[in-house]
Amino acid sequence: MKESVRISVFEVVGSPLCVASNDGQRVFERLAAAVQEGRNVALSFHNVDTLTSAFLNAAIGQLYGKFSEEHIRSVVQVEDMAPDDLVLLKRVVDTAKQYFKDPPRFEQVIRETMEDQDDAV
Amino acid sequence: MKLPLPEIRHDRDSFEALAYLHAQTRECFLDDVEIDMKETSWFDADMCAAFGAILYSLGENLNTVNLVNLHPSVEKVLSKNGFLSHYGRVKLPDRWGTTISYQRFDVKDDRYFSGYIEDEFIQRSEMPAMSPGLLKKFRESIFEIFSNAVWHSRTKLGIFSCGQFFPSRNRLDFTVADLGVGIRQNVQDHVGHDLSPEKAIDWATQGNNTTKQGDVPGGLGLKLLCEFIDLNGGCLRIASDAGYWCRERKETTLARLSHPFPGTVASVEINTADRSSYRLASELNAKDIF
Repeated sequence: MKESVRISVFEVVGSPLCVASNDGQRVFERLAAAVQEGRNVALSFHNVDTLTSAFLNAAIGQLYGKFSEEHIRSVVQVEDMAPDDLVLLKRVVDTAKQYFKDPPRFEQVIRETMEDQDDAV
Repeated sequence: MKLPLPEIRHDRDSFEALAYLHAQTRECFLDDVEIDMKETSWFDADMCAAFGAILYSLGENLNTVNLVNLHPSVEKVLSKNGFLSHYGRVKLPDRWGTTISYQRFDVKDDRYFSGYIEDEFIQRSEMPAMSPGLLKKFRESIFEIFSNAVWHSRTKLGIFSCGQFFPSRNRLDFTVADLGVGIRQNVQDHVGHDLSPEKAIDWATQGNNTTKQGDVPGGLGLKLLCEFIDLNGGCLRIASDAGYWCRERKETTLARLSHPFPGTVASVEINTADRSSYRLASELNAKDIF
C-alpha cells in the first residue's frame, strides 16, 4: 500500500496569511501531484490564520477540474482547519463542483440572474 | 490646466467628482495639471486610494501634478497618511494613530500587501479593540478585495489603498482602487454579457457569478464581502466604469455616473464596535467538505 502524504500549507506558503491566488497555485501543484500519484493526502492548515476564497479556489477548487468528486473525497483530507475556515472551504468546494461539473447549469444561473435584474429595473 | 475639486466623501457625488476629474484630464500629455482644493473642505482620507489612482495615471502621461490651496485640516490628514508625500509634501507623524497609510502596490506585490495589512491593522496598539472574530473577518475582506483587483483588473499601473479609523464613530474605512479594465468590461470579455456598468457590478456580487474562465473557479469574493457587511452593519461601495453600487443596511443601490472611473474602486466601512461572534450555530466536520 502506498504511503500517505502530508502537505503543510504553512510550509508551502511560508506564512500564516494564505490569501494570494498564486500561493494557492503552489499548494495545488503539490496536492494535484500527490493525488495523481494515487496517494492519500492530508492537507494541514496548522498555523494558518487567514484564508481567502481566491487562495482556496486555486489550491483546492481547481482539483475538481482535474479529478472526480469521488476520487477527491476518497484521498484528500483536511486537517487543523479553524471551524469558520471550514465553512469557507465548503463554499469554495461547492462552487467549484458547480463550476466544473455542470457548465450549462452554471450558465443558466447566470442567465436567470440577469433576467431577474432586468425584471427588477 | 487648473481644475477645482469639491469635498470628497464616501458618496456617489464624490465618485462622480473624481470620475469627472479623470474625464477632464484623460487626454493631458506633458501638461501641468493643478488641482485646486480650495473647495475641498473635507476629504475622507481612505478616498486617497481613488484620488491617487487618477493622479498616478496623469503621471503616467508625463503630466506634472500640483495640489494647491489645501485646507490646513485636509493637508494635515493627507500628510499624515503619506498621500501628500507623493506630491512634494513631508509626511507628518500620526500622533493618534488613526490613519492607515496610502500605498501603491504592483499586482505581484501580494506578499508586500499582506505585510502592510499586518503592520497597519495587527501590530498597532492604536487600532480599536475589535473582537477576534471581527478582526479576522475584516482582514479576510480586505484580502478578498485586493485579490479581486489583482485577478480582474488586468492593470499594469498597480493597486492603490488607503484607510482611516474614526474612534468616536467606531468606524474604520478602507478603500482599494485599481486602474484596470473595470467590471463591466470583464463581464463582457469573459462571459459575453453586455450589461450596464452598474448592473455589471451587481452581477459580480452574486455568489454564482464569475468572470474567471479556465482551471481556477471563482465568483465568491464579493459575495462573501457583502454577507460580512450585512452582518457587521457596515457599508460597501463600488465604483467601476460608469457604475456606482452601494450596499448598506442590507439594501443595494445602483446608480450611473456621468463619467467613467478609469478602473474600479471598492470602499468598505466597518463598524468596529460589532461584537457578533461570526461563528455558525452548527460546525462543519472536516470529513464532510469534499
